[in-house]
Amino acid sequence: MTAEVIAAGETLTLFSQRAALWARMDTLLIADPHWGKAAAFRAGSIPVPRGTTTAALGRLDRLIACTGASRLLILGDLLHAREGRAPETLRAIAEWRSRHARIEVVLIRGNHDRRAGDPPRELGIACIEAPLFEPPFIFVHHPVESAGAYVVAGHLHPGVRLAGPGGLRARLPCFWFGARRAVLPAFGDFTGLAPISPESEDRVFVVAEHDVLEVTGPSSSRGSGR
Amino acid sequence: MVTSQRPDDAASSLPSALDAWFESRGWAAFAFQREVWRAYLGGESGLIHAATGTGKTIAAWLGPLLEWHAECVRGEALATRQRVMRRSRAPHLRVLWVTPLRALAADTRDALVEAQTALAPEWTVETRTGDTSTTVRARQARRLPTALVTTPESLSLLLTRQDIATLFDDLRVVVVDEWHELLGTKRGVLVELALARLRRLRPGLRTWGLSATIGNLQDAHDTLLGVRPRPERSRIVRGVEPKRVVVDAAIPPVVERFPWAGHLGTQMLPQVVAAIEEGRSAIVFTNTRSQTEVWYQAILQARPDWAGRIALHHGSLDRKRREWVEHGLRAGLLRCVVATSSLDLGVDFSPVDRVLQIGSPKGIARLLQRAGRSGHRPGATSRATCVPTNALELIEIAAARAGMERGTIEARLPIARPLDVLAQHLVSVALGGGFEPDALKAEVRETRAYAALHDDEWDWVLRFVTSGGASLRAYPEYAKVVRRNGAFVVESAMVAKRHRMAIGTIVSDGQIDVRYLRGPRLGSVEESFIARLQPGDRFVFAGTPLEFVRVRDMQAWVRRAKSAAGAIPRWQGSRMPLSGALSAAIRDQLGEAARGVVRGPEMEAVRPILEVQRRWSRIPAPDELLIERVRTREGHHLYIFPFEGRLVHEGLAALLAYRMSRSAPITFSMAFNDWGIELLSRDPAPLPESLAAGLFSAHDLAQNILASLNATEMARRQFREIARVAGLVFPGYPHAGKSARQLQASSGLFFDVFTRYEPDNLLVSQAHREVLERQLEGSRLGRTLARLSSSRVVITEPRRTSPFAFSLLVDRTRERVSSESLADRIRRMQMVLERVAG
Repeated sequence: MTAEVIAAGETLTLFSQRAALWARMDTLLIADPHWGKAAAFRAGSIPVPRGTTTAALGRLDRLIACTGASRLLILGDLLHAREGRAPETLRAIAEWRSRHARIEVVLIRGNHDRRAGDPPRELGIACIEAPLFEPPFIFVHHPVESAGAYVVAGHLHPGVRLAGPGGLRARLPCFWFGARRAVLPAFGDFTGLAPISPESEDRVFVVAEHDVLEVTGPSSSRGSGR
Repeated sequence: MVTSQRPDDAASSLPSALDAWFESRGWAAFAFQREVWRAYLGGESGLIHAATGTGKTIAAWLGPLLEWHAECVRGEALATRQRVMRRSRAPHLRVLWVTPLRALAADTRDALVEAQTALAPEWTVETRTGDTSTTVRARQARRLPTALVTTPESLSLLLTRQDIATLFDDLRVVVVDEWHELLGTKRGVLVELALARLRRLRPGLRTWGLSATIGNLQDAHDTLLGVRPRPERSRIVRGVEPKRVVVDAAIPPVVERFPWAGHLGTQMLPQVVAAIEEGRSAIVFTNTRSQTEVWYQAILQARPDWAGRIALHHGSLDRKRREWVEHGLRAGLLRCVVATSSLDLGVDFSPVDRVLQIGSPKGIARLLQRAGRSGHRPGATSRATCVPTNALELIEIAAARAGMERGTIEARLPIARPLDVLAQHLVSVALGGGFEPDALKAEVRETRAYAALHDDEWDWVLRFVTSGGASLRAYPEYAKVVRRNGAFVVESAMVAKRHRMAIGTIVSDGQIDVRYLRGPRLGSVEESFIARLQPGDRFVFAGTPLEFVRVRDMQAWVRRAKSAAGAIPRWQGSRMPLSGALSAAIRDQLGEAARGVVRGPEMEAVRPILEVQRRWSRIPAPDELLIERVRTREGHHLYIFPFEGRLVHEGLAALLAYRMSRSAPITFSMAFNDWGIELLSRDPAPLPESLAAGLFSAHDLAQNILASLNATEMARRQFREIARVAGLVFPGYPHAGKSARQLQASSGLFFDVFTRYEPDNLLVSQAHREVLERQLEGSRLGRTLARLSSSRVVITEPRRTSPFAFSLLVDRTRERVSSESLADRIRRMQMVLERVAG
């Protein structure tokens, strides 16, 4: 299930796999995969199960297959930490890359990439510093403000809380579209959420299992009543 | 000495120094104290139970001092003594004194020092807690004092020392103070494990526990002593008879105008102020920290002339402030202190002659304990006045007094096999010299907590700390505990450092320091509360209105605000549930009322409201289960009144909703409080069918509960503590490097990742089990169902919400207290409903 949103006059398709497609440019957008995070934890003697990075790569396989995108744009934090560059993790990424040798992959470096280092050169991933200006968008890692263009960013791992009668509660990752700026959810499984406080005119799309649903109104735990 | 008869037994004859010491204070030794000394010198262990302030400390402390004395006389210790004198060094560690609160450690030390200076001047007595300065720590790292006052966490830290093999060579006894407070908690399990370790290192070690009187003293004794093939002799010693305790209630002048339920206001303020005026010094106990702030402000407004002579005290205040308050209480400088359970324990506050309890005490033992904080003078009476915040609380107060008079006191149930604590312990022991698995397994099974530990559970925990998980999925990069020459040890300095830091955090539930931008630390609050604040938001803390500035370096920086207007209310997180014993007493009170018997001023006062309940619905007899069906614009309400306390009702509500929803597609909105459960649905609930199908049957209880969505949410919450204890999540610390921060993730994230990628993880199963056993008081839930299924179900259909149901209505809305306006809440709920339906 997908949702469509128009930002700066361009149509973006939002996928429940926490990715967005900019169809006109044949470009798939993801942010904050944090690959190797679990491995970094294990290296620090904190037991985290295997499989998070592999599962994320599998998700990316399906996204590429169903969108047929020719370019993958990663909005920062591809690798979590230097300690997470475990041989096994890098091998899984290399295998994934070889399955999609044709696709162009571009990484806009984020704060984690600067410490973790670029992915191995042989993977053929172009690593650049932000901003990447492709009108009408500016692609960055940190969600900064820009006068000239509509900002598309990552970094925040945005999420919202929902609550309803009978103690129904949920905390879900979301796509957050403001008037001048959009923030994508973190692509990685082992990443966590940071609650956002959207303005009333902002549009928020939550990822609820296999659906992308737009939610309106006050959606964080704080309200406008104060 | 006042006693005319001295036992001939040489061991118990008091040395002249002790005589003189007792005489100098005009005291006489109690018979129970002599019994303890005799038993101690005879090599016995035991448990001493009595009310606070009745000489338990002296009973446990003088044994070791007398023993030292006897050794000196016999010449055994003479050589040591001379050596000691010559090198002016105190004897090695002989006594470990464990206290549950680090706030109590300094007071305990002072109390011990009094007798020690007179009787064993060559000894040293020091504390070792999270508050101990680095200088003292460094000195203690070289040499421990003769008697060390410490907390369970710091005791565990001692076990990680490299020199553990010789550290306890002279240790004679471990005294566990306020053992009832530790029993039934993971910190208590930490003590059990440490005791098992120490007994292996030092055979013949004695253990003495000090406890308030609780309902299961034998359990408390057995847990302290452990499960060993040949334990030393031991006994349970009863202290002096408790002081006379008088409990009454402040009766509202016009009960009809008093809220039926749920109100947390201060409308009884005049009565409270009057009661404080009557005495010299009073403690006003509330049930939550936020209530202490509310009442402190209210009393100060009513009597501005008391400024400087009233204070507040709760666990999240800074230590210096707390100590100042405690000193003020002891010195008689304070008119009144508003406090939470942070003042339940501790040494005596002699000038206090009145205790006020705001709201229901929620438990009989707690009422006794709190009342006992007043009237410490010889022959004085402990007096507690309960101040209801709503009419129905009058019934709870009457029930608590009735229970107290009957001597019904709650039990503290020990917990079984918490694997997170075991995982922590394994790393501690690996640090402290290492372990051989079979030997440690046998040792761990000598504790009550792990006596029934399964082999596969042990294997799993061993794998958890060595290879990080199930063997088939061993993580090569993982090396917490490693095997070297047959012993399991910790080699990584980083692991060691992180583990030592994490041990102390077993109880601090994500606390964050509050500090002035320019000025001192104020104390700490729940991280979850701070996370909700934005710069500029106001809140009241330590009686002061504050403005939140920012969070940096794991501290919340604030500045003083001009007023408390628009302050964000703190979440009522620590609301205490009704105890099982008090729940039963309430059912008895209502049973009497159902027969038309009215006894006591509280029941007399609440009579008009009970009359309304009787007219509109029914007052249930003890063998009846009342269910009210009410239809409102909201939908169909089902009010069920088991009177079992909030914890049990939380599990019961989820269970009943789940079972009814199985017989027909229906959605319930649930609410619960100490009295009952509300199930709200758009269509009428299939009550008769569900009753016929065994709505209250204990069959498939565990499965049914876990099946409900709410249970998994509860397990996720419970996992917070487990993740911290097992070392998955460790507290950040100021100035932590980036590499440390990159290893931080929330326990919720761990729970999700484990559930998805390693569903057989035993820590996840432990979270489920803990929800069942503790959060929902599994066994109590089972007993409740047994009682309910044999009760006669009485269904009434009141035209309006009855007083009993009203308490649920109010409580339910209060569950959702937040900073949002009601309109926002409703809009949001509708939004969610649409999304769910769509």
